[in-house]
Amino acid sequence: MSQNEQTGSDQLSEEASEELIHRIGKLTRMLRENMRELGLDKEIEKAAEAIPDARDRLHYVAAMTEQAAERALNAIDRAQPMQDELTERAEALDKRWAEWFDAPKELDEAKALVNDTRGYLNDVPDMTAATGKELLEIMMAQDFQDLTGQVIKKMMDVIREIEHQLVQVLIDNVPEAQARETMQRKAEDQWKHDTARRNEELLNGPQVKEDVPDTVSDQDQVDDLLDELGF
Amino acid sequence: MADKNMSFLVVDDFPTMRRIVRSLLKELGFTNVEEAEDGQDALNKLRAGSFEFVVSDWNMPNLDGLEMLKEMRQDDALKELPVLMVTAEAKKENIIAAAQAGANGYVVKPFTAATLEEKLNKIFEKMGK
Repeated sequence: MSQNEQTGSDQLSEEASEELIHRIGKLTRMLRENMRELGLDKEIEKAAEAIPDARDRLHYVAAMTEQAAERALNAIDRAQPMQDELTERAEALDKRWAEWFDAPKELDEAKALVNDTRGYLNDVPDMTAATGKELLEIMMAQDFQDLTGQVIKKMMDVIREIEHQLVQVLIDNVPEAQARETMQRKAEDQWKHDTARRNEELLNGPQVKEDVPDTVSDQDQVDDLLDELGF
Repeated sequence: MADKNMSFLVVDDFPTMRRIVRSLLKELGFTNVEEAEDGQDALNKLRAGSFEFVVSDWNMPNLDGLEMLKEMRQDDALKELPVLMVTAEAKKENIIAAAQAGANGYVVKPFTAATLEEKLNKIFEKMGK
């Protein structure tokens, strides 16, 4: 591309972007005025209030997934050396047994080999039990999937709500009456498919923040409350 | 000591959590475990089969755990069946509502293997098994 053409296209895109900014500005102003007229600004405010809550939820998801990954990796770090030790000791014993079978040696040496083998066999169940405990820990760490999943579903509700409000603002601003009606019908059809809102008072999902009033933070508090109530 | 052949129904909409609970029960020696993905699915399975213990989540689509519990307590065939709630719902009013609806125990997520075992044993003791 020559120097001239380069400058030319730069100028063109500068003009285009100026035009774009101008149009977005105009659209924003028009939307704001219309929203106020229609009382939609209150709805938008409601949606905007949900955003800090969504931020807390995202933070919770990030913290939970990090914690789960760390729990699993730590358990693996603890289990791996035990597995390695089991392998090394078995290989060493097997080697000694092979040598003994090739050329049987003194009775004393054979006795030591038998004792070492018994010692190893005795240690194996303890070490596999310890490894099993770490496997269980890795499994329990996966509970984040349920907890974060519930939080993400809640956030999707918020996003859907915001989307509805924005689409409604756009529909209300379509100048042609017939087109507006068609769009409204289409949107309503689509929204009907979204899950109906349930009684949400008792459906809050995991607590994403600490020290929320009237909320328990661990199992002991659950047990205390049930005891207090005589259950 | 509870009968190791006791039949369990694990109710949760998240497959991961069903697997975790199932594995924990296996760890405790209970291998007779089936799964349901929501309250309605659970009620159908409970009415069709002969389960002896229910471990249920609360927040589920179609029919949630509390509604399922209420329906169970209305049903002559299911009203005595022990139900352990295992849920992330941690509001005091949730715990009270579950207890009033007839839950036999309440475990809040995230939970440990030891907590689940302790609550199960407590219910077994009360059942006299």
